[in-house]
Amino acid sequence: MSATPIRAGSEYDPSSWPEARENPGFAGDTGEFPGLDEDGVRGLSYVGERPADGGHASVAGTLPYQVATRDPEAPLFVGPYEERLEKVLGRYPDRQAALLPALHLAHELRGYLSPQTMDEVAEKLQLPPAYVRGVASFYTMYNLAPVGKYLIQVCTNISCNLCGGDAVLESFLKHTGTEPGEMSANGLWTVMEVECLGACGFPTAVQINERYFENVRPEDVPAILERLT
Amino acid sequence: MAYPYRHDSEVRLLSEHFGNPRARTLEGWVELGGYRALRKALGMDRAEVVNVVKASGLRGRGGAGFPTGMKWSFMPKKEPGKPHFLVCNADESEPGTFKDRELMRWTPHALIEGCLIGAYAINAEHAYIYVRGEFFEAAQIMARAIEEAYAAGYIGKNILGSGIDLDITLHIGAGAYICGEETGLLNSLEGRRGEPRVKPPYPAIAGAFRYPTAVNNVESLIAAAQIVENGAEWYRQWGTEKSTGTKLFCVSGHVKRPGNYEVPLGFNFREFIYDVCGGTPGGKAIKAVIPGGSSVPILTADELDIGMDYESMAAAGTMLGCGSVIVMDEGTNVVKQVRRMVDFYAHESCGQCTPCREGTAWSAKILKRIELGRGTPDDLDTLLDISDKMTGKTICVLSDAAAAPIVSSIEKFRGDYLALMEAGDLALAGAR
Ligand SMILES: Cc1cc2nc3c(=O)[nH]c(=O)nc-3n(C[C@H](O)[C@H](O)[C@H](O)COP(=O)(O)O)c2cc1C
Ligand code: SF4
Ligand code: FES
Repeated sequence: MSATPIRAGSEYDPSSWPEARENPGFAGDTGEFPGLDEDGVRGLSYVGERPADGGHASVAGTLPYQVATRDPEAPLFVGPYEERLEKVLGRYPDRQAALLPALHLAHELRGYLSPQTMDEVAEKLQLPPAYVRGVASFYTMYNLAPVGKYLIQVCTNISCNLCGGDAVLESFLKHTGTEPGEMSANGLWTVMEVECLGACGFPTAVQINERYFENVRPEDVPAILERLT
Repeated sequence: MAYPYRHDSEVRLLSEHFGNPRARTLEGWVELGGYRALRKALGMDRAEVVNVVKASGLRGRGGAGFPTGMKWSFMPKKEPGKPHFLVCNADESEPGTFKDRELMRWTPHALIEGCLIGAYAINAEHAYIYVRGEFFEAAQIMARAIEEAYAAGYIGKNILGSGIDLDITLHIGAGAYICGEETGLLNSLEGRRGEPRVKPPYPAIAGAFRYPTAVNNVESLIAAAQIVENGAEWYRQWGTEKSTGTKLFCVSGHVKRPGNYEVPLGFNFREFIYDVCGGTPGGKAIKAVIPGGSSVPILTADELDIGMDYESMAAAGTMLGCGSVIVMDEGTNVVKQVRRMVDFYAHESCGQCTPCREGTAWSAKILKRIELGRGTPDDLDTLLDISDKMTGKTICVLSDAAAAPIVSSIEKFRGDYLALMEAGDLALAGAR
């Protein structure tokens, strides 16, 4: 496998991963699409490394929302982040429309949205702070409090549930020694239930930070956790 | 994520290039005949493009099945200073649905082409692709493809020398099922809470930023591009009179070979499940099937001898929805699964309408009580009463969707409910 990390500083290095069935989270090819490897399915080498300034304005708002490297103290909207916000602003008829992308940028950088962070976003976009909080709290992907370095979201909705989603969730909780939504003492893990991830044919689907793990079985969990650390 | 299966009965128009990483790249896509549809469309009148899609009978693949060409024809005449927008709904979050993700990650340029053709047809100068936030991987592939297409002059100013300017912007959601509902999506795009709007006005009159807008699903736009290239008659050779063409069906739950399969509409449902999808693992009997995503009424194993098309599904008392087939074998605790779906709707209700906000929450509580063996037969009447009050009375149909599995499961699996009540504290022992 010749995979390029999707983003500079990405915590995933797929090239070091074992193949096929021993590779939890990527069960490999069924044999009906010869020669497909993980890169082929995920398009890693096609995407390559996205530029820090966000690249073309049309897509500058689209970097990961939850990465392992974060800094809750980092200044917002400076350097490449400012560039990206400027590009995003140019794509909509008004400033308000840049709110979700701006919150994504802040979230990506700081790992969660503190009241202070939301206020800074409000100021930057000239929106009322209460309005920004009202919007941010509507969406489940914006964490309003710090989470573990790895945010593990296990789908327990119907298709995954039929194939053992609850047991996968249990397994993650057991192996991280946490309760749902609680950060582990070492700051590494937060495990939560999540609604359908749109990967229902590959149960159980688990999202860890920005990446999907699929066909996860309860017994795969230790290997997944080990790989992450 | 095993890359899944295919089957000889499939007619792979949309999914022809699934499993071929080369098709993802601009170079590969053009080699395979990509962007011919766009060239052809730009050489046609806008009205002609709309008419071909109308004549093909293509119906929206996002769930409601509204004819795509008709939707485009509702767009008003362009007035100076009043932009039009095309919005592609790539929010895919109906439980059981995972087709748009595959379309985006295997054939991102097909979606770009679909957006460009749709935008041209409705005289829009800007198309937004609203991708659900969790689809990081698909969004990164789309981002790369959009950059490639801008650099090669397929998007931007004076595309392909046609004198037409067309922009595409990728917009990422932030986790909320209700943003799949088209007016919730538009609010979300505008930087608001994703709460559905009261209609009318419909998006064609006051959509994104209150300007005329068409909202189309990923699969609809890609199919429309193929129709423009190959003609309405070509498309009508598949499917039935009123449900034309092919559709991607997402199969999950208790089947041997889960995944996406593309078959002509009208395909026999039983044959689909047993032959194309290989039946259940271990050959167990099927207990229930949800044919169109978690929002549609459940079918029993005796009700599978029907066509997979909009009309046949409606005649069977359910809906084709977005083609998301969820199979449950004989060991399934239907009550638990219905409770899980209703929990989902309770979580995702935006809370604007009382029947939906209260109805989903209370139904979920009652169902949980029944699941734990503490229900009484009266609870079923209460559930049916609540469901009735949730149906047809709210701003959007999330409320109706939540009621559908409750009503159909009580009707068809009443025995399962009663058995849990009789089992009392033993109910949990048999849960699955
Ligand atoms: C609660 C709810 C959720 C929906 N979710 C989606 C979705 O995830 N994707 C989608 O394309 N359409 C979804 N729809 C349907 C859209 O409102 C709209 O009908 C569709 O995007 C129109 O595109 P089409 O005509 O191409 O199907 C949803 C509708 C409702 C009521
Ligand atoms: S029906 Fe439910 S989800 Fe739809 S607008 Fe009303 S409260 Fe919101
Ligand atoms: S039900 Fe788990 S990903 Fe859809």
